[in-house]
Amino acid sequence: MSIHVIKPGLQTSIQDLGRPGQMHNGIARSGAMDPVSMQIANWLVNNPANNPVIEVTLVGPTLQFETPLTIAISGADFDLYLNGDLVFNNQSMRVNAGDLLEFDRLNSGARAYIAIAADFKLTPVLNSFSTHLSAGFGGLNGRAFMTDDQIPLSAICKVPMRKLADKNQLTFSGSYLLRCVPSVESAWFSQAEHSFFYSQQYQVTPESNRMGIRLRGTRLTQTSTRQMVSSGLLTGSIQIPQSGLPIISSVDGQTIGGYPRIANVVSADQSILGQLKANDKIRFVKVNQKQAVKIIKKKQALLTSVLAERNNDAS
Amino acid sequence: MNGLLDNEYYCEPIGCKVKSVANGDSGLTLLFDAPISEKLARAIFELADRIKHRLGDSIEEVIPAYQSLTIFYSPLSDCPEKIGAIVAEFAEIKTCPGYDENNSSAAKQEVEYRVVEIPVCYAEPYAPDLKFVAERCRLPVEQIIKLHSEKDYLVHMLGFSPGFLYLGGLNSKLFCDRKKMPDTRVPAGSVGIGGEQTGVYPQASPGGWQIIGRTPSVIFDPLADDPFIAKPLDKVRFVPISEQKFIRLSGNGL
Repeated sequence: MSIHVIKPGLQTSIQDLGRPGQMHNGIARSGAMDPVSMQIANWLVNNPANNPVIEVTLVGPTLQFETPLTIAISGADFDLYLNGDLVFNNQSMRVNAGDLLEFDRLNSGARAYIAIAADFKLTPVLNSFSTHLSAGFGGLNGRAFMTDDQIPLSAICKVPMRKLADKNQLTFSGSYLLRCVPSVESAWFSQAEHSFFYSQQYQVTPESNRMGIRLRGTRLTQTSTRQMVSSGLLTGSIQIPQSGLPIISSVDGQTIGGYPRIANVVSADQSILGQLKANDKIRFVKVNQKQAVKIIKKKQALLTSVLAERNNDAS
Repeated sequence: MNGLLDNEYYCEPIGCKVKSVANGDSGLTLLFDAPISEKLARAIFELADRIKHRLGDSIEEVIPAYQSLTIFYSPLSDCPEKIGAIVAEFAEIKTCPGYDENNSSAAKQEVEYRVVEIPVCYAEPYAPDLKFVAERCRLPVEQIIKLHSEKDYLVHMLGFSPGFLYLGGLNSKLFCDRKKMPDTRVPAGSVGIGGEQTGVYPQASPGGWQIIGRTPSVIFDPLADDPFIAKPLDKVRFVPISEQKFIRLSGNGL
């Protein structure tokens, strides 16, 4: 029982919600770069939220199923074809042995998640199925999919069909506001430097990846000459290197860094990082800690209510 | 909440100021205003242990570094208050076992540490930058090898990439600038000098350090019961080995 990789796509890998508690060993948390879409995909096939999924990046794979399965795709909007017929994301579907799933044109977002009502027959490494791409462990042999890989499955389940209500579907416009709170070196930047940073429109560069989002725009000239004291680098940290162009740390980023951080993206907006692609537009907005807590509470409540819905179930 | 995060303490056991600053909405970083030292490293780990012990599962990550300690938690938790209380308590204790340098020599001997020997082959094929470092430091190659391998290095922390050891104690005669253009691929096990630091690349990766040798030892093995060759507060000793021994220990040559 397996899935046959006909074409691997740009960077297709197994991810779950990550590998927590290892940052003090230099091991990034990894996991789905857009954990919200990933959890929705799992919900669509009645999986636990942390079930491993297939993360698809920018150019999707072509997969052949060698056994009947229930699957669902969420996140970035690709044109999807099953045996040449158009199929849709955000709803579960049944596939048969021999069926061919093709990811075609990317319409919006950057990463899609394929959830399968089954287990991957893989071994977790340090308590997670996530692939750590740069260190080469976890997931399928510690790497992205390659042509002719077989993704082994077990414990295949028959589950009710589900569809995500239209009102709950995420859209990725290509133009985003990321809310920010202070970080360790925020005070190093002058009032003028902060004003400059928050008034800019930045663009995502093609060098962005799971380690970090690299931006281009007008350079921020830093006046502080203070000596950087290395400290724990968390996802969402916005570093300003000497080039003056921000780098936002992401799920596979280094654990101790690097450059002065002007701010951190609030927890609630970090899932957007997984949907950024080259030329997307970014603005940063400052909020305070209290507002950040309010925002994450609201977002978590919404996700919880979406994932608790059962009324679309139908067989 | 901002007020709670931006606190300052005077830390008696180290004799320095400690500042608590926000690291986003789900983390805080404690910055220790003291030079990098073994005493500071031990104090940071003692504090990290206290925080882990007291807060358990409500914290997600505790990340020690040379002069800082970062704690990562759920933005909805009350961890900042609780961490503040633990730091305030820690700041007032007079001494911690094992790191009071002013204490009697008897107290110093109580510090127990593990020495991890890492064999290093300094032969040319494995040490592409050794000659450059020797010229730069104005020392013969043999002297570079001797100075690099004659002392034990303290593991301050693991970080950056999986299993990478941040080592303290490089002889200042060996300080050498990083490369202006980082190499695109440095082989796993490469031993290098970067600025005032020395270390071993656990994985093949891009890198800008001057490479002066290579170890056949596996620095990070994610599938092993204990994936890490050393842990913080261990001491690392580089033991020079011949090319023949390198090949024997690693099972292959270049």
